[in-house]
Amino acid sequence: MKKLPIHVKIIFGLILGVIWAFLSSALGWNEFTINWIDPFGTIFIRLLKFIAIPLVLFSIISGVSGLTDVSKLGRLGGKTLGAYMTTTFLAIGVGLIFVNVIKPGTRIDQEQRIKNRLSYEVWLQDNQMGPSQDGKSYLNDPTYAQYLSPDQELHQLTEAQKSDLEKKVSAAKEKKEGKPLQFLIDVVPENIVFSISNNQLMLQVIFFAIFFGITIILIPKDKAAPVIAFVEGINSIFLKMVELVMKVAPFFVFALLAGVIAKMADTPGEVFEIFLGLGSYAITLLGGLFFVAFILYPLILKLFVPKVSYKEFFKNMSPAQFLAFSTSSSAATLPVTMECVEDNMGVPRSISSFVLPIGATINMDGTSLHQAVAVIFMAQLHMVDLTFAQQLTIVLTASLASIGAAAVPSAGLIMMIIVLQSVGLNPAWVAIIFPIDRPLDMCRTVVNVTGDATVSTLIAKSEGELTKYS
Amino acid sequence: MKKLALHTQILIGMTLGLIFGMVCLEFEGLSGFTLDFIKPIGTIFIRSLKMVAVPLVLASLIIGVANIGDVSKLSRMGGKTLGIFVLTTVISITVGLSLVAVMKPGHKLPEETRQNLMSLYDSNAESQISAAEEVKTRGPLQPLIDMVPDNIFFATTQNGRMLQVVFFAILVGVALLQVPKQKGATVLGFFNGINDVIIKIVQYIMLIAPYGVFALIASLIIEIAGDNPEKAWELLYALLWYTITVVIGMFLMMIFVYPILIRYFSKIKYLEFFRGIRPAMLLGFSTSSSTATLPVTMDRVEKQLGVSEEVSSFVLPLGATINMNGTSLYQGVSAIFIAQAMGLELTLSSQITIVLTATLAAVGTAGVPGAGLVMLVIVLEAVGIPAAGIALIMAPERILDMVRTMVNITGDASVAVVVASTEGELDPDFDKKLTTEQSS
Repeated sequence: MKKLPIHVKIIFGLILGVIWAFLSSALGWNEFTINWIDPFGTIFIRLLKFIAIPLVLFSIISGVSGLTDVSKLGRLGGKTLGAYMTTTFLAIGVGLIFVNVIKPGTRIDQEQRIKNRLSYEVWLQDNQMGPSQDGKSYLNDPTYAQYLSPDQELHQLTEAQKSDLEKKVSAAKEKKEGKPLQFLIDVVPENIVFSISNNQLMLQVIFFAIFFGITIILIPKDKAAPVIAFVEGINSIFLKMVELVMKVAPFFVFALLAGVIAKMADTPGEVFEIFLGLGSYAITLLGGLFFVAFILYPLILKLFVPKVSYKEFFKNMSPAQFLAFSTSSSAATLPVTMECVEDNMGVPRSISSFVLPIGATINMDGTSLHQAVAVIFMAQLHMVDLTFAQQLTIVLTASLASIGAAAVPSAGLIMMIIVLQSVGLNPAWVAIIFPIDRPLDMCRTVVNVTGDATVSTLIAKSEGELTKYS
Repeated sequence: MKKLALHTQILIGMTLGLIFGMVCLEFEGLSGFTLDFIKPIGTIFIRSLKMVAVPLVLASLIIGVANIGDVSKLSRMGGKTLGIFVLTTVISITVGLSLVAVMKPGHKLPEETRQNLMSLYDSNAESQISAAEEVKTRGPLQPLIDMVPDNIFFATTQNGRMLQVVFFAILVGVALLQVPKQKGATVLGFFNGINDVIIKIVQYIMLIAPYGVFALIASLIIEIAGDNPEKAWELLYALLWYTITVVIGMFLMMIFVYPILIRYFSKIKYLEFFRGIRPAMLLGFSTSSSTATLPVTMDRVEKQLGVSEEVSSFVLPLGATINMNGTSLYQGVSAIFIAQAMGLELTLSSQITIVLTATLAAVGTAGVPGAGLVMLVIVLEAVGIPAAGIALIMAPERILDMVRTMVNITGDASVAVVVASTEGELDPDFDKKLTTEQSS
């Protein structure tokens, strides 16, 4: 029993959690579940939340400050970073289009969504998070009064509170509409210590971390050394903390799932309804990943390197892709990726050994696409309408937070929590998509690795060193 | 001039403050001057001690845990510490209950005074009751959730979230034990440096301790007297028996219970213990804040009683937030006093209920700042005494808070000694240190 790998145990925890959720809703144990099991799920989320911010801060600083080669290699370095960022944004764009066209979150029962929405607003109030993301208040809308539970009725606002809330909402709107560049202003922290002590200012923390990391590269090496050693030390401590937390994750995951579902659903039918929504989410995500890996990358490649045929590209890359699928780690796949790119695609070693390791650290096309789809799916599930600008914030946070995430185990989960809380959504919602996270993780690693390989081929071509296909 | 020992300086400051405060009451205008220009010195003193509390706990606990060296020893120490906390809490409530049963202060309270007090502190009582309502609607496991920070940087900006900082520091220490040595070394060195700097800062702050204490006591006297000194004394006098009962209970804890514990588990002699921690006790009394006193308590327990830093940095911050023997004793006495004053008879079983709920409330409201009275409301309601009765005991609250804090601190220090002694972390040469310090 002890020999089981951790992710298998987590899957056991998941299954037990789902079974418990069915049992508890069928037998009316939901109150017990909420009182005695759900707190452990909350503790799990809180642990990950408080580890996430320093982890992102220090892992980005150490990741960026480790890119000293980039500054040395000048033109090639700039080109590589540019190419990686472009593919990442393209991938996210694909994800956004898919999730907004298919709308997987709206495919469950309307009544269930209204209930979800109401509990989201109660959560906002309990945590003093201010108005909801879209500024609407379903709690106080008489249309939805029939869905309110007695406990939720207590959360209805008085007239005075209502007008106060409306004022806040319109002030927030004005701020956004007034200045087109407000989102850029919002990225720059006014006080960095305040930003890291506030869960919703993640983008500012990331900005600071990148800036700090770049500056470390630019100052004299002997002065930077103690700072780097300290950052590396702290970073490895937080990585170890994640590992410690993950050791007990199977139990925590069980509690989280049982608790979140108990809060969302009172009858087995409703539990079933929630999982029905997951199906369409998975299809949307797979569709997006498939499109990027099998249509977008080959198209880009064809555009710049016309001689590589569609079939040949995949024949060359398939060993790396299969390994990525089975390990779901782009770092672990790196040696094979290098081999494929060098031997099969003919990229010279000097380029692949530079481009690919950077890619494994900072290029996460599949992961960023997944973040975008997942967050918007969860918002749809809870009837929260996000504007295009809000969706862009999500995307920006997701893709920047993924810098340095490669070294972090369970990075997907932690990044998701960061993204959710940075846009004011409930981080406990990760429980909803947790059950099918592992298989999807395998697919998105395939996309990450394919993206790295594509970019390295492009760079080789642009340097005129791709002799095999020119 | 020969340099006086720290506790003597503090004692002189307190005495002078008391005299000065009394003098102020006699002269028109002097009170205003004291509040405007002398009280700030005391406030600055408390603030500077609180300023170093969070970094001190963070740095010393991280180093402490990393030095303990293995996780199993840490968890054994943790279990032992919590066990002794619960034990001393139960003892202190029992002491309080037996004392109040013997002295019956509630029966000595005239009916007229009772009515008077009830109407006077009605609104105060209301707000405490509604705060207790809020605590009670929380889930049963909420204290556990509250221990885990959801943003560690935010937690370090709030003194009320010390428990979260303690939790975080323990986790960092444990992680530090398990990362490769050369990676952890820089971080460990960094926190070691921070720790030394803070200890030095505490020494500088203690230079103004006598003046700070003087200012605190002087302004306290003036504030208690308020606009109408006559009436204030009258109120205090009416509750004299109650106050005396609480104070006797507190002294029983300090003079008998803790020394017996220490005697049983270690070789530290009766007077040596008090000689070691008396500056911390005096500071606790004059600041009535365990957090503000924490840096001094840690310093004394380590340097004078020979408790290793690993133990003291673990036990004392935890004790400052969750082990409040003085507060528990006070609750036991107050609950019965209110019942007696209202003419309610409590059966043995409801007395046991008081012991249980007061212990649970002490643990359950650990993260809630200023929870003393809130906890009392919960205890009262558990045995069916009208919670509005807390209006009766509001008058001497400030004074009793001072004594309470002193007991809380003594309790924490005793637990630290006991844990250190049973873990073999007690320096056997502590008494030599003590004598060298005094002769120098």
